[in-house]
Order: sequence, then C-alpha cells, then structure tokens
Amino acid sequence: MMQPQIILLKEGTDTSQGKGQIISNVNACQIIADAVRTTLGPRGMDKLIVDDRGKATISNDGATILKLLDVVHPAAKTLVDIAKSQDAEVGDGTTSVTLLAGEFLKQCKPFIEEGVHPNIIIRAFRKATNLAVSKIREISVKVQKDDPKQGRELLLKCASTALSSKLVAMQKDFFASMVVDAVMLLDELLPLNMIGVKKVQGGALEDSLLVAGVAFKKTFSYAGFEMQPKKYTKPRIALLNIELELKAEKENAEVRVDSVEEYQAVVDAEWNILYEKLEKIHKSGAKVVLSKLPIGDVATQYFADRDLFCAGRVPDEDLKRTLKACGGSIQTTVANLTDDVLGTCELFEEQQIGGERFNIFTGCPQAKTCTLILRGGAEQFIEETERSLHDAIMIVRRAIKNDAVVAGGGAIEMELSKYLRDHSRTIAGKEQLLIGAMAKALEVIPRQLCDNAGFDATNILNKLRQKHAQGGTWYGVDITAEDIADNLKACVWEPAIVKINALTAASEAACLILSVDETIKNPKAGEGGPAGRGRGRPM
Amino acid sequence: MSMGSLAFDEFGRPFLILKDQDKKSRLHGIEAHKSHIMAAKTVASTLRTSLGPKGLDKMMVSSDGEVTISNDGATILSMMDVDHQIAKLMVQLSKSQDDEIGDGTTGVVVMAGALLEQAEQLLDRGIHPIRIADGYEMAAQVAIGHLDKICDQFPLDQSHRERLIETAMTTLGSKIVNRCHRQFAEIAVDAVLSVADLERKDVDFELIKMEGKVGGKLEDTMLVKGVVIDKDMSHPQMPKRIKDAKIAILTCPFEPPKPKTKHKLDVTSVDDYKKLRVYETEKFDEMVKQVKDTGANLVICQWGFDDEANHLLLQRQLPAVRWVGGPEIELIAIATGGRIVPRFQELTTDKLGKAGIVRELTFGTTKDRMLVIEECHNSRAVTIFIRAGNRMIIEEAKRSLHDALCVVRNLVKDHRIVYGGGAAEIAMSLAVSQEAEKISTLEQYAMRAFADALDSVPLALAENSGQAPIQTVAEIKSRQVTEKNPRLGIDCMNKGSNDMREQHVIETLSSKRAQIMLAVQLTKMILKIDDIRSSSENMF
Repeated sequence: MMQPQIILLKEGTDTSQGKGQIISNVNACQIIADAVRTTLGPRGMDKLIVDDRGKATISNDGATILKLLDVVHPAAKTLVDIAKSQDAEVGDGTTSVTLLAGEFLKQCKPFIEEGVHPNIIIRAFRKATNLAVSKIREISVKVQKDDPKQGRELLLKCASTALSSKLVAMQKDFFASMVVDAVMLLDELLPLNMIGVKKVQGGALEDSLLVAGVAFKKTFSYAGFEMQPKKYTKPRIALLNIELELKAEKENAEVRVDSVEEYQAVVDAEWNILYEKLEKIHKSGAKVVLSKLPIGDVATQYFADRDLFCAGRVPDEDLKRTLKACGGSIQTTVANLTDDVLGTCELFEEQQIGGERFNIFTGCPQAKTCTLILRGGAEQFIEETERSLHDAIMIVRRAIKNDAVVAGGGAIEMELSKYLRDHSRTIAGKEQLLIGAMAKALEVIPRQLCDNAGFDATNILNKLRQKHAQGGTWYGVDITAEDIADNLKACVWEPAIVKINALTAASEAACLILSVDETIKNPKAGEGGPAGRGRGRPM
Repeated sequence: MSMGSLAFDEFGRPFLILKDQDKKSRLHGIEAHKSHIMAAKTVASTLRTSLGPKGLDKMMVSSDGEVTISNDGATILSMMDVDHQIAKLMVQLSKSQDDEIGDGTTGVVVMAGALLEQAEQLLDRGIHPIRIADGYEMAAQVAIGHLDKICDQFPLDQSHRERLIETAMTTLGSKIVNRCHRQFAEIAVDAVLSVADLERKDVDFELIKMEGKVGGKLEDTMLVKGVVIDKDMSHPQMPKRIKDAKIAILTCPFEPPKPKTKHKLDVTSVDDYKKLRVYETEKFDEMVKQVKDTGANLVICQWGFDDEANHLLLQRQLPAVRWVGGPEIELIAIATGGRIVPRFQELTTDKLGKAGIVRELTFGTTKDRMLVIEECHNSRAVTIFIRAGNRMIIEEAKRSLHDALCVVRNLVKDHRIVYGGGAAEIAMSLAVSQEAEKISTLEQYAMRAFADALDSVPLALAENSGQAPIQTVAEIKSRQVTEKNPRLGIDCMNKGSNDMREQHVIETLSSKRAQIMLAVQLTKMILKIDDIRSSSENMF
C-alpha cells in the first residue's frame, strides 16, 4: 500500500541539510574570501568591476568589492555583511576580516568532515576569540596623547599604514597629514559628515588640498552673476531657505481683474513682494547670500547692483556645513535678519580649481568643519582616492578615541597565533585541536601579505614563528626588504580596536555559518515550478 | 576567458554564489594585465601619428553622420566612443590633461601607452606589477626634478610678448591653422594679455569668446576688443552704426507687464476693449520714454518684443537688439561697464553701458549680419572672430586656438618653459637612466624602462616627420651628452638646426610636468588591477 506523500513546502523549494550543507556553505565562503584575497597589503592588487550598466569601479577596498560582486548565496552573504559592518564600525580592515572568517572556516572543515559537532567548534572558537581579544588589550601599546606632538605622530602613522595598500600609497605622507589635519579640525564628537569631500577631475594627486572651512562648487547662475564681486574679507553671510524669484506667490491662485488699472497694481504687487525681500537682505548688511532654493535673475542682478554675492540652489549638506563653520542660522524668512543670525568668516573667495569654479570660505570663527578637494587624472582614480581617504579618516577618528595601537604587517596576528597555540597545549580535550586550528588560521594574514608581494611565504612565516617564540612580540613582514622586521619600530601601526573588531566579527561570522545546518530556499515568484501548470492551461 | 569561479557542494554539484554568475566573465592575473596593456597600446597607437608639427589629422564620423576633423588628442579620443574600460581610462586621461593644461593631450596618451608597453616586457620577466609601478613613480620624481633644473624662465610683461607668441606658435604648429601660424599665435597672445590679471596671475576664460562664421578666409580671422553677437538690429531701418553708444541692457520684455500669478481679464464691452488698447499703447510709450530719458541710444534686450513695439522703437529712434542670450548679455555688461536692469523703473543714466562704436557687419553676398561692439569702457572682454571655408575648419580652428590660449594662460601663471621637439624628453630620459644605476633594488629595471618610454615621444616625432627615428634620436641623445645641451631636439621642420632655442620651439613646464604625472598615475592604476569582473561577456 502506498503512503500518501505529505507536501510541506511549496513545490520547487530547495532544501538541503546536514553535514553536507555546512561543508557547502564553507566552500561558498572560500570563494568570497578568494575574491578579495589579493587586495591585502601594500602589494595588494586592485579589482576592476563592471556592473550591468557598464559603470566601472576600480577598488582595493574589501567592502566595496564585495558590495559590487552582488552575492546571492545566503551563507556567502554573511561574509559580505561582516565586511560591511567592519566598514561601518571602524572603516578599515575590511579585507582582513573577510580573509580571517574564510580561513577560520577552512581550518575547521576537516573537523566537520570527521564528525566533530559544530557546537563544540563554536564553543572553542568563542573561547579562543575571547582569549585573543584580551591578549590584544594586554599587549597593545598606549601612546601618551597629552603631548600634542606625539599624539599627532601616532595619528600620522596610523593613517599612513591604512593608506599604504591603496592606490595613493606613493603619496601617503601627503595624504596622511592631510587626513590628520582634517580630523583635527573637527569638534570632539568627530562627526564624519562635517568633512566634505569634493572631487575635481584633472591635475595631479598632489594638487589636492584641504580647506579649513567650506568649499563648494559654483551653483547654477543667471545673467548678472559675473558682475558680482568674487572676493570679500570678513563678509556677513546670510543663509536662507527662500526662493528669491519672481513667481506666483500661491499655486493655483487666480486673480480676477476688473479694469486695466488694477492690472498694473497686481504686477506691481508681485514685484514689490520680491523687492521687499531683497531690500531687507541688503539692509541687514549681509554681503554673501546663500540659499537652498533658487535665486532668480532679477535677484542676481539686484545683488550685483549692490555689490553682494549670491548663490542659489546650494546643496543642503554644504549649507549646513557653512552654518557650522560660519555661525548664524538658516532663515526661512527675511523678516528678522538681525546680526545674530548672520554668519561670518575671514575670507570669502571664488577660485578656479581645474575646470570648475569653487566658492571657498576660510578663516571661519567656528571652524568645526573642513573640505577636502581631491584632484586626479581619471574619474575612477578620484573615486578610489576618496574611498582610501575615507578609510584613513575612519582610522584616525578611531585612533583619537582609543590611543592603543598594535603593530601591523601581520605582527599582531603572529603573536596571537603563538599565544593561542601555547594556550591550546594546556587544555585537554577536543578544544585543544580547535584552538590550535584557529591559531593556524590567524597566520593567513602574514601569509597572504607575502603571497601578494611575491615572497616565499613558508620561509618568511618560519622566520616569524621563530622570532615570536623568542619573544619578539612585534615582528611582522617587511614588505620593502623581503624579510621580517620589528613593525612597531618601523611605524606600521594600527589602532588596536580595528584588530579587536575584525577578530570578533570574523569569529562570529564563522560561528554563524557553522551553526546553520539547513537551508530552505523558496522558489522565486513567477518562475520555477514544472512547466505547463497554472495559467489555466490544461496539462 | 574564464568563468566566474565555481564552488561545489558535497556531491560535487556546482552552485551559484553571485547573481547571474554564468553570464559574468572574469579575467584574472597576468592575462588581465596583458589585456589592459593591449587595449591601452591600441589607443595610444591611434594617436601616435598626430603628434608633432608633421602629425596628421583624424577624421571622425559620428553615428548620425556628422564629420569632425581634428588633430587634438582629447577631441579625437572623446569622439571615438570607446567601449573598453581601460581604453576609457586613456580617454579620461587626455581629457584631464585638457581640463588642466589644455595642451599636450596627444603627448600624454602616447607617453602612457609607451609606459605600459615597457611594463609588459618587465611583467614577462616576472617582476611584480607594483614594483614596476613604484619604479615608475621614482623615475617620475627624478624626471620632474630634472625638468625643474633645465627649465628657462623669463619675466612676463609686454616686452616679452615675442616669447609668448613663440610658445603659442609651437602649440599651433601641429594644427590645421598653421597656414596663418603667426597671426593666430598673435591673436591668442593678445586675447589672453588683454583679459589677464597679471597681479593675481589669473586668466578668466569666460571673458574670451569665440565666434565662427562660415565664409571668407582663415586670414580674415580677427580679434575684436569687444563683443561680437550673432544678432542684428530688430528693424532693418534702424541705423547700422552707432557712435558713442549708450547701451541699456534689459532683461525684461518690451510688453505690458504680466503678473506671474494665474490671471484672467474679462473684457465685456467695446469700451473696455478700447481701454485695454489704449493702456497697452500707453505702456509701450512709457517704456520707450523711460529708456529715452536716461539718454540711452541703444537697447539690448534679453527677450523679444512684437512688431508693434518694434515699429514704435523705430519711430522714437531708439535702435534695439532683441533675443540676446544670457551669457552674451553678461559679456556685454562686463565689456561696456553697464548694469543689467531687470525693470524699466530701475533704469538710470549711470546704469547704462558705454561703447565707442557699435556696428553691424555684413558678409559677402549672404544676408547674415553680426553686431560688433567695440572700443568698450572695459576692454577686458574680447571676442575672437574666426572665418574659414567650412564649418569643420572653423571648429578645428576653435579647438586649436583654445589650446593656444591655454598655453599662454599657463605661461601667465607659471613663467617657466622647457624646449619642445622632444628635447625635454630626451634630457629627462638621460637623467632617469643615469639615476637608475644608483638604485640597488628591482626598481632599477622599471626606471630604465621609464627612460626608454620617454624616448617614445621624440621617436614618434621623428617618425612623423619622415626621418629615420632610431638613428635621429640616438644621434641627438649622444649630442645632448657630449655638448651638455638639454635644448637639442628633433628638427621636425628640417630647418637645419637641432637647437630648439634657435628654432623657437617652446613648451610650458607645467604642461610637461602634468603630462608625466598624469601618465604615471594612470599607468600605476592600470598596473594595479589584476582582476576584472564584468557582466557582459563580449566586453573583454
């Protein structure tokens, strides 16, 4: 007798479970890790990714690459997510975190195949992570920040380490000091959106400049704009959110005019509304008028006539930054333009930068903001520079908040690896092997650094293991000399928080993937299912 | 072509990780490098033959049949409509040279192509691409340092106009307009000098306008110290020539004012209608009177007016020009020192612009007319008026003049010059190869390759001028060393001298410098890419 088949899931649903599922998830993660593997380190390469619309992106940033790869595999997506979270949290080390997670999984694959329960692996990994994190805290070097000069030195080193793997590596000293200066200009909260980044094509990288104030591109202008003065010292700045244009005051309103005389009156009334506004702005003593909404041709000519400068349709973000830098407040009416709502700065000037004209405010009394103007040959080049600087800015911000640093170039990973290996030997039971596996996995960072640079990885790693066993805590890969070196002395510094975050995120991702033993994937709506069914057609 | 990498599950079944993975292509490692270099070399070889005074032009036909003839690297590349990603980078490279410097757009692409070609050989020898890039960067530093040493300097004032003209002539040498070589160079120099702010070292290109008109000869091209607009008087009977013009510049139309609010006027009786008529005529009268009262004898209007107003203006003897575009209005205002007036009520005598003479130009048998405003109050706004046989030549002349203007502007900004004709490149090449010997690491090879790549510019110059390239370059190289004279270059015009100072072949230092920096930057970027993923298969 046939048992009736019980259908639980919709037809076409893909299910797979058990050990095999874990293995296949691990394999998927390997592919993702492989995609960014070669971007690690100062000798890392870039990827060129072309999307469906033909837009090309060239990047070295792990998070950017993974985002653009458009991953659909559910387990592999986890890795993309941790790269993104590392990007959001600390901004740098996105490649390392992906690599580490991939390597953790790779090392525990044989154990899964041999039938070790995933939960035991997970427990061991968690324990090892905790040990590693407390070890980082223990050995990290605190830098005295009381001395401003030394504090700056620290920031510079961290920034240049972050930049060394990027396209701008050759100009890293230039950009590192630029980034540090930019972050130093901010207030205590270090809000990221107060650093404006403007990109102008053309010129060399070294032509990039930092404006201690606000700079934005010339907005759309009407006839009469060229006659306005383009330079003021100590101008009063009015920030408005008003449309200064001759227009219908109310939408959908209709005026009925009985006689021709009244006709003129209506026209005059409209003009007067605008003129009154302009008059008030002029009377307030403001010399520079910025508005979020358009400033029409009549207003432009009116201002030109009275030696005022105006710019309409200023992007919201730029207007806010001007507000932060110059003081004052954004007004939605001209009725109350008193001195305290007007901002001011030392110098306002319109300058030509490459093919664009920029409005630049400098010497602002409340300069809590700054603008980076990036120059470079190609569009992709500038975009990658922007991403690289973003990483560096994040690192500097992190370093200001936490003054603990560790040595980069694989040094900290080697030290942790040694520490975990030593520790594993003291434990009885399965965990010994698993913590040992994690120790081995950590070596992936120095190994990859060597591989990317074309060195003999085995040789260098052996040298490193020996040094670390002898107590050389900060020995890491020396890219320039194809050897090992004390990276703390060589000034390859990274904030400890970056490493802590990378380690925890990677181990969490690995644990997550290990704990999944079944995937149920619903068929896509609209497709799938046996052909011929549905739509009322007979079989 | 390899597919995106596949992963396998425990049964050996492949599964997809990326969306539409089977449709994506991936190129990896050394093949990726080879493909990039191939693409870049192809682009560079297209431009190679347009380098130098004997370089040839390219004709591009766009998809809708429009023909462009050009010798300008940036123009050629942007018209080529390149699809390959790396080739696109080359196009952007020449564009950014164009934006920043304006000249040397061909040279920069040839240079980048040569650098990549050299890099290919190094890659074959197994040198890590980033080591090559580092070596190039080091070499570029040396080269630019050497440029600073060999450059010449001269103070900029009117007495050195001759030097400026020589530099402009070098730029124009390779262009189609070299029939009127000297004339064009003079026009460019005079135009820049009249708008330049020598104190601030700033040249505002907005003040230089270029107008072209088909017909006449290239020799008829002239520089107007004032404004030329492609418009004529609104009425054929208005005077064609106004002396001591007082110009009212209006941005409001000659018509009864209209409120912007939606409005409706109900005319119910004949009386009302008549009243409206009277009102309208009164308004016209009033407006014309207001203008007349200020003493203006010419009206430039941004908007139009109907025939009735036109007639009235003629009656009141007030010549007018209508439908003048926004930028022109602005230029007229700057040139004549007038103010743009948005309302009749605001018009006063001191807001009028003044010009010595306003006249209408007519051309040959055509009915085309143009208005020239000259002897302006402020002579800083100038117009270059180009005449030529056909539209293509006018366009190319505009581009050539633009290049020349840029070069002169760069000289105003930075007076330093180097000698052209490949002299600077050969000198740099010598300096770099000398410096290369002092380096103990792998980068030595890259630096030597850089020196070889620098030779590609003089090689191409010699080749294009019909000389035996290698022989000529080798000879000049040895002469530069023995005579210690960095001014020796390729004698493209067969004038019998290799000294570029005698030949007056001058280029700006900033242009050469930008060429090297940009080319190295791009090369470095291309060398750093080892993985290309793209969605469409036909791309690579």
